[in-house]
Amino acid sequence: MRPQETPSGEAMNTPVMRLLSGMSVHGDQHLAEVEQDLVQMGVLLDEAIKKLCASFMAIHQAVALQQEALNGMHAAGDEAARFAAIHAEIDRHIGAAVTGLQFQDMTSQLIRRMALHLAGLRDVFGMLNTRTNGSPILPESGSDEILAMLNQIGDQVGHGAGRAGGVRSTVNQRHMESGDIELF
Amino acid sequence: MKTILAVDDSGSLRHMLSFSLKAAGYGVIEAVDGQDGLAKAKQQTVDLVLTDQNMPGMDGLSLIKALRAMKNYQSVPILMLTTESGDDIKAMGRAAGASGWLVKPFDPARLTEVVKKLIG
Repeated sequence: MRPQETPSGEAMNTPVMRLLSGMSVHGDQHLAEVEQDLVQMGVLLDEAIKKLCASFMAIHQAVALQQEALNGMHAAGDEAARFAAIHAEIDRHIGAAVTGLQFQDMTSQLIRRMALHLAGLRDVFGMLNTRTNGSPILPESGSDEILAMLNQIGDQVGHGAGRAGGVRSTVNQRHMESGDIELF
Repeated sequence: MKTILAVDDSGSLRHMLSFSLKAAGYGVIEAVDGQDGLAKAKQQTVDLVLTDQNMPGMDGLSLIKALRAMKNYQSVPILMLTTESGDDIKAMGRAAGASGWLVKPFDPARLTEVVKKLIG
């Protein structure tokens, strides 16, 4: 390319700024949608778990009452043993259900962590598009200023992960099986 | 009846703990976070404390330290029930005065077995 065909710094900066601004607006919209879905997911899971818990507890109580009634009927030896075995089997299933139902405790922790990451990303997009104290954050011209601003945003992204509540994952479970027990 | 203080910011987890422990014949007091747990522990000395680690405000480790600083909680068993299973955090729990570490999710039968072993 001949030198006279190379766009000047200023001519290049305008489309770059438009691109960055457009990217921030669209990026922010996408993240807002994801955030909204996560909140809704959390609400639905919370309600579902409350209903499931209440149902399982009611089943357990009903079975216990039934067992009491059967005990009062003085069933014969074999029958009594059969009822007791059925009762124990139901208890085992209820126990397994209680273990499985704890998924909501873990998913809610993961959702909270995702929301913190999203908030960090939205801050970054905000930096690209916000004006503070009447001064545009996006420079009107000058590649050095744009580079400085992008560097600043890059740093922000780096700090964002740490800022998002010390986003160390506290949930490493891969299966819903009961965890280890250690007595000190 | 032996009483257990169950501290967890998750309502569903507290319900399940309460359900499992009551079914095994224990009385249960629920607390929504470390601060609430500490306040309830001061109101009534319980026989065992079961606490989560990651909670808003006061976390499980801070709660254990605060309880161990109280005369009437120096020998009360305190179990940590958390999603965390790293050796570092377990060591911190042990140093803070935890009596044991249970990784979530819990199985009601195994939980009550441990509780029975500690307080009968």
